[in-house]
Amino acid sequence: MRNRKWKYKSNSVIIMVLALCVVFGVASCTQEREPCYTPTIASLNIECVHYTSDTATTVLDTALPKAIFGALTNNGVKAVIYPQTANFTISLSSVANSCQWIMSTDSVAYPFDTLSFFYQRKLQFLSNACGFAYFYSIDSVHFTHNQDIDSIQITNTSVTNNVNTKHLKIFIHPDF
Amino acid sequence: MSIRSTLKYLFTPIFSLLLLCLAIAAHGQATADTTSAADIAVEVHKIDSAGHQLCIGVDIVRPIENAFVSDRIGYEFQADYYLHNELYLAAEGGWGSSTVTYTDLKYNTRNTFYRLGFNKILLARENKKDWGGMFMGLRLAMAPISRSAANYTVIDSVWGNGSGSLGPKEITSFWMEVTGGVRVELVKGLMAGWNIRGKFMLNNKQLKDLAPLYIAGYGRGDKNAVFDFNFYLSYAIRWKRNFPQLVKTKLSK
Repeated sequence: MRNRKWKYKSNSVIIMVLALCVVFGVASCTQEREPCYTPTIASLNIECVHYTSDTATTVLDTALPKAIFGALTNNGVKAVIYPQTANFTISLSSVANSCQWIMSTDSVAYPFDTLSFFYQRKLQFLSNACGFAYFYSIDSVHFTHNQDIDSIQITNTSVTNNVNTKHLKIFIHPDF
Repeated sequence: MSIRSTLKYLFTPIFSLLLLCLAIAAHGQATADTTSAADIAVEVHKIDSAGHQLCIGVDIVRPIENAFVSDRIGYEFQADYYLHNELYLAAEGGWGSSTVTYTDLKYNTRNTFYRLGFNKILLARENKKDWGGMFMGLRLAMAPISRSAANYTVIDSVWGNGSGSLGPKEITSFWMEVTGGVRVELVKGLMAGWNIRGKFMLNNKQLKDLAPLYIAGYGRGDKNAVFDFNFYLSYAIRWKRNFPQLVKTKLSK
């Protein structure tokens, strides 16, 4: 009985020493700041679609050949040229309650259409690793009819860092 | 929070509680079985003869962590008192602070914390001098947290960065812990033991606007469930120790 007890006690002490070694190891590997794995910018996701004819009721995705989206900032236009796709991601201004983007369905097509976004911002704490971000609630979207945009539909007003949510449907003219 | 997350954080502590109850029930059943098998003719009533013990200890892991980590400090103490039937009343407490000095986020927090609960020794005591063993326990904990004003910057490479400030805030957090570990007596009165803890935040809504980087006694404030480790070095004070007594009752056939 005494031997069994002594064995149990000595095993426990060994486990404790090992546990302390693990603690030293973990403590010495501690990082200053955890890496951020979530998007820190709320993305407004756009899907371009078109009706197959003037009388059609169903829509199809419209892959724009070489679309350009440009943010009209205080420091000039910051543009992105997309390869052929029907899905685009832009961001809203975190320093104002409205912003404008210019858009062209093709890089060789002029003039541009202007999209004006009106929204409310909400400060959102993501985590200590990622800090803060702004999420948005879209009030309205206005646009010009210079090029191929037929109409715009807001499908989801809540703009967060969820990259899978579609917020806007841009209807392109059927004859595009 | 999604329904799935809510269910996860609801059922995890309940499941842990069930496990704990099962372990205690199984231990009780094993003890009863051993007694009845060993002695059929004589029923033995063992009187708890272990006396009183008050154990006061300090967590020696925290100072090690403090030496390696620059943005937080924490200290932790514990005390437990032997009630009866291998059941201990446990109380723990401590304090700590954290300082966040990131380029886009700056604030600091301070808090004290208090825990109250019990430990149940899972292995039967071999003799009255045996104060060590494997245990499981439950705790209810609270921590009043004081957070300074927080300065933040939202990084935006397209539209430009935006900065702001959140005012200071006083928060009280509550959480529940399920703990298990081992404690042995190294030399007379000097105990050493480790335990692991699963901690489950009970009121996380108030931490949504800015969860503290570190809550002393809990860990990362932006997690609803965390695991932690303690290594206590304790000193036991014992008094009114009785000698073991066995009362044997002859069973009538």
